[in-house]
Amino acid sequence: MTTLALTVNGLSVERDVPDNTLLVTYLRESLGLTGTHVGCDTTQCGACTVRLNGQAVKSCTVLVAQVQGAAVTTIEGLAPGGRLHPVQQAFKEQHALQCGFCTPGMVMAAVDLIEHHPGPLAPEFVRSELEGNLCRCTGYHNIVKAIVMVSAAPRQAAAPTVALAG
Amino acid sequence: MDDRLFKAIGQPLERKEDERLLTGQGRFTDDFSLPGQLWAVMVRSPHPHARIVAIDASEALALPGVRAVYTGADCARDGLKPINHSPVPSTQFDLKLTGRGGTPVFVGPHRLLPADRVRHVGEALAMVVAETREQAAAGADAVMVDYEALPWVADTAAAAEPGAPRVWDDLPDNVLVDATFGDIAATDAAFAAAAHVVTMKTHIARVTGVPLEPRAALGHYDAATGRYTLYAGSGGAVRQKREVADVLGVDAKTIRVLSYDVGGNFGTRNRLYVEFGLVLWASRQLGLPVKFRAERSESFLTDYQGRDLVTEVSLAIDQDGKFLALRADNLSNVGACCVSLSPLSKGSGLITGSYDIPVATLRARAVFSNTMCTQAYRSSGRPEVTFAIERLVDKAAREIGIDRIELRRRNLVRADQFPYLNAVGSSYDSGEYEINMDRALQLGDWPGIAQRRAEALARGKLLGVGFANYVESSIGTPKERADVIVHARTIEVVIGTQPSGQGHETSFAQVTADLMGLPFDCVFITIGDTDIVSAGGGTHSGRSLRHASTVIALGVQDLIEKGRRLAAHVWRVAAAEVGYEAGRFSGPGATLGWFELAAHAGDPTLPEDLRGGLKVRRDNEMHTPVFPNGACICDVEIDPETGGIEITRYATVDDVGRCINPLIVHGQTHGGIAQGVGQALWEQCFVDPHSGQPLMGSLMDYGMPRFDNLPAFTNEIAEVLSPTNPFGVKAGGEGGTTGALAVVMSAIEDALVNEYGPLDISMPATPAKIWTAIQQVKAAAPAAA
Amino acid sequence: MYPSTYHRPASAAEAAALFAAHDDAAFLSGGHTLLPTMKLGLARPAALIDLCAISGLSGVSLQGQTLSIGATTCHADVAAAPEVLRLIPALAGLAGSIGDRQVRHRGTIGGSVANNDPSADYPAAVLGLGAKVVTDRRTMAADGYFVGLYTTALAPGEIVLRVEFPVPQAAGYAKFRSPSSRYAVAAVFVARTAQGVRVAVTGAGSQGVFRATAFEAALDRDFSAAALAGVTVPEADLVDDLNGSAAYRANLVAVLARHAVQNMGRVVLLK
Repeated sequence: MTTLALTVNGLSVERDVPDNTLLVTYLRESLGLTGTHVGCDTTQCGACTVRLNGQAVKSCTVLVAQVQGAAVTTIEGLAPGGRLHPVQQAFKEQHALQCGFCTPGMVMAAVDLIEHHPGPLAPEFVRSELEGNLCRCTGYHNIVKAIVMVSAAPRQAAAPTVALAG
Repeated sequence: MDDRLFKAIGQPLERKEDERLLTGQGRFTDDFSLPGQLWAVMVRSPHPHARIVAIDASEALALPGVRAVYTGADCARDGLKPINHSPVPSTQFDLKLTGRGGTPVFVGPHRLLPADRVRHVGEALAMVVAETREQAAAGADAVMVDYEALPWVADTAAAAEPGAPRVWDDLPDNVLVDATFGDIAATDAAFAAAAHVVTMKTHIARVTGVPLEPRAALGHYDAATGRYTLYAGSGGAVRQKREVADVLGVDAKTIRVLSYDVGGNFGTRNRLYVEFGLVLWASRQLGLPVKFRAERSESFLTDYQGRDLVTEVSLAIDQDGKFLALRADNLSNVGACCVSLSPLSKGSGLITGSYDIPVATLRARAVFSNTMCTQAYRSSGRPEVTFAIERLVDKAAREIGIDRIELRRRNLVRADQFPYLNAVGSSYDSGEYEINMDRALQLGDWPGIAQRRAEALARGKLLGVGFANYVESSIGTPKERADVIVHARTIEVVIGTQPSGQGHETSFAQVTADLMGLPFDCVFITIGDTDIVSAGGGTHSGRSLRHASTVIALGVQDLIEKGRRLAAHVWRVAAAEVGYEAGRFSGPGATLGWFELAAHAGDPTLPEDLRGGLKVRRDNEMHTPVFPNGACICDVEIDPETGGIEITRYATVDDVGRCINPLIVHGQTHGGIAQGVGQALWEQCFVDPHSGQPLMGSLMDYGMPRFDNLPAFTNEIAEVLSPTNPFGVKAGGEGGTTGALAVVMSAIEDALVNEYGPLDISMPATPAKIWTAIQQVKAAAPAAA
Repeated sequence: MYPSTYHRPASAAEAAALFAAHDDAAFLSGGHTLLPTMKLGLARPAALIDLCAISGLSGVSLQGQTLSIGATTCHADVAAAPEVLRLIPALAGLAGSIGDRQVRHRGTIGGSVANNDPSADYPAAVLGLGAKVVTDRRTMAADGYFVGLYTTALAPGEIVLRVEFPVPQAAGYAKFRSPSSRYAVAAVFVARTAQGVRVAVTGAGSQGVFRATAFEAALDRDFSAAALAGVTVPEADLVDDLNGSAAYRANLVAVLARHAVQNMGRVVLLK
């Protein structure tokens, strides 16, 4: 057991956990942030995607111990004060989610993609970059639409996300 | 139903569900935890078939944190009953499946934990409960089981052979269903007189649903109240409650099931899992909550799986290309015990597909095997039979020398033939099959094929265009209940369906809002808590919108009547003097809206039957099936050097009856297409024929549709209302899958047939299979001059 | 997951000492090979020794005609490194084709090279370019480093510090992926070096990455797609599984080699 500290959604947190605790377990069970989901055991489905120091990672394949002191953003930290992030808004408008289980990871991966590639994105590029996120409900069609739409819109100044839920 | 009242119905309204799901506030089963909860991990059989000689849990029990190890002997001692899955479909319009000679179907008892034998790889035979999940897993590893391996059979056709290893001693062989339908004499006569007979035999292999949320259950027995609480996502909390009560031998009133957000279903969640009963029972033994969550590899192994049908079909055709008769022999693999005969039954009613075939004979059989149990999976049974008829028609067109569209056109059920009674007794409600076919051909640019083929060839690719019509059926559990409650500022509808992404909170609110003349925003739908949802049929077979809209409509009618009597009381007039229109009650010189009226419901002078709030409970029972239908068309490009295949275009026309929310319906079509394409190209629950071991045990092996191997879709909704229910709804959830197997394989054949002749490529049509089939043709071809 | 202790040494020497002090230790880099195997219960190290805090193990640097990539450099960083893009674009493209976006933010070249997964991409580049694997004990040439399935010449406790790639005249990489695992069913790395053509094949070999010597000889005579006509790899050494027979893989190797030769300087992902 070790005391492991991170910044999660803008807030400093510290918990005593076994050394081999996965980041997703720390988020879900130690912090009660159940928005990040576990969908597989082979690092493929992407439902556990969070942003770690500004980069999308699969939190099921990261030990908290490896990333002590890092800044993590989860789905709960994306919408400050109830106003939806443009990606969340676009998902809603384009019906880019059905059961919602893949959605948090999908949104975080999409946010990461858009932030690292400013400017309008081609559908083929979106499709190849999101290979690491599976969805069983939507057939991907509307998700691509939503992301392409957001990428083509003029970028608002990004509001830093600070709300910690749970 | 007055369309002019529709403000919300038919609109692509954004979903009410999305806010919570987009912000991480969804409530999936694993999101729930209870103080002091223990964790359960299952011990699973590595053998396809074995006798359980002995189980030694001593080492496991000595490990830190392990509280208990339960086996089948413990379950038997406590009198736990097998799960009553009611697998034989029994609505009025299901084909009546029986055992040989009309005998009742033996289904094989599905015990929570077997005491004597395990009958498939992965069958749970013990449960370890410990303080943490890791400790329970370590405990499960330490349970020593002494097995006596028994002969096994996995292959569907082999399992039906006389002399195959028997899964159940109760039957002389593995065939649990053997029933014949249709007019044999007339069929034989038609075949004898036919100008052409075309035959096809194929095995539509097994796949699995892979909902992104692995199954999970949290069970808690509270000794103080004597109540069990089960958090478990499913396809219907009411049904799960009833079945779990039956298994535990307790009154259903003592059980509360909570199924809130469900991360995908597709059929996999529509039957009770052993773990759900076991955690409740274990909680009672141990006095603490017990939680179970499947690993994804566990889900692959032991989720109820789908499809697995061996079918042989023959079509008799006259000299003008008119279909005279169809013969089919369908053999369905139910796995180690029979959880559902829906795939066999639903498919059986639709073997003639979209075509007017006057006579048919079907032999429908189901067989046990030493594999995981199968159950309904997205369009249960219909993609299989659609594949059979559509590919058979393609074959007929080729062999007879008639264009495959023209052959279809000559035989489609015509608009003036509805309601159309097909040769196995299914009565198709309504449809415009030819119009939809032509529209699909247009959407898919059928006339442009030659040009696209040439352009692809210039890039070294072989382009093919596939086409398929489809008709499918939606029956479903016939009963549904709605409570419609007028609160101070909102309307609440309690309903017994169970969405897993279909948007019921939105579409049902649209229906209710328009029926009551109220804004969409003020209507809220409550589902999933059996302490509130007292009855209902769950969600499967495309039943939900049809049943919900009907029972809500009836309930609102009752509510209007009640409202009139309430208003009459308020205004001291006779009820006959109270009018109602578009959400407002009118009396002499006054009107009241719903909420204003509801404010009077606390009046102490009200007669008995008007007290307690402005609300109604309404039950409804509907047996008549509906028949969504449509057409699909797709382009594939194949690289003959690698067998690599890409779908470059995919269009559909889908007759869903009345469309309440096109955004939601299109989404269902997209997802349905993906699951069908997945089966055609990548997915299979492959069992090694030598060891009986399932080899597709993880996402590393099981090929899921992904962002980069699916195209964008072009879809149109055709609304040909069904005369069977007030809104004219058919269903929109499963059409996308129904035609997909046929259309993709049809496209592959079209890409390769000119160059290589018709190739026998089984699904999934992987690049390796395509390439190998091409090589076999090349090897057999005479050397070029 | 099996309980393990976690350690974060500041130097290679400290890491080596930690390894020696534990009965059953494993080095951790990006964790995208080790952690999945631990989650599946296939690996149960009692101690995890994280190499990522050791300074000097991450980053790309150019020394003369040698591109040196630190062992803990993640795939995304290699794919985006200006020197790699400029000097060995096929290597940048290969790194950018590993796994998916999220995986590339964590997975490292050291982890890949130490693991030697028979379908991994980096072994093809290391063998194809004739790179050197530099550890805390010695420097090893690529030839002779990849010994067999999941097996390298690394001794227990030996730590990969960096991989040194000689800059080739040209290089190309062509890959055909399994639709499910997204790993290569076969992939071919072709490099034109001062010492001749090198052709390394991954995904197809039953013992992991290997050099296709017949292809090298043909391309040495004539570096063109035409020169490859009829040149094959022996089927007996190839994998036969649900992704394809040995014959299928042999065919893929020939097709992919041709695509690589026709697209030097790039990565071709065949669909």
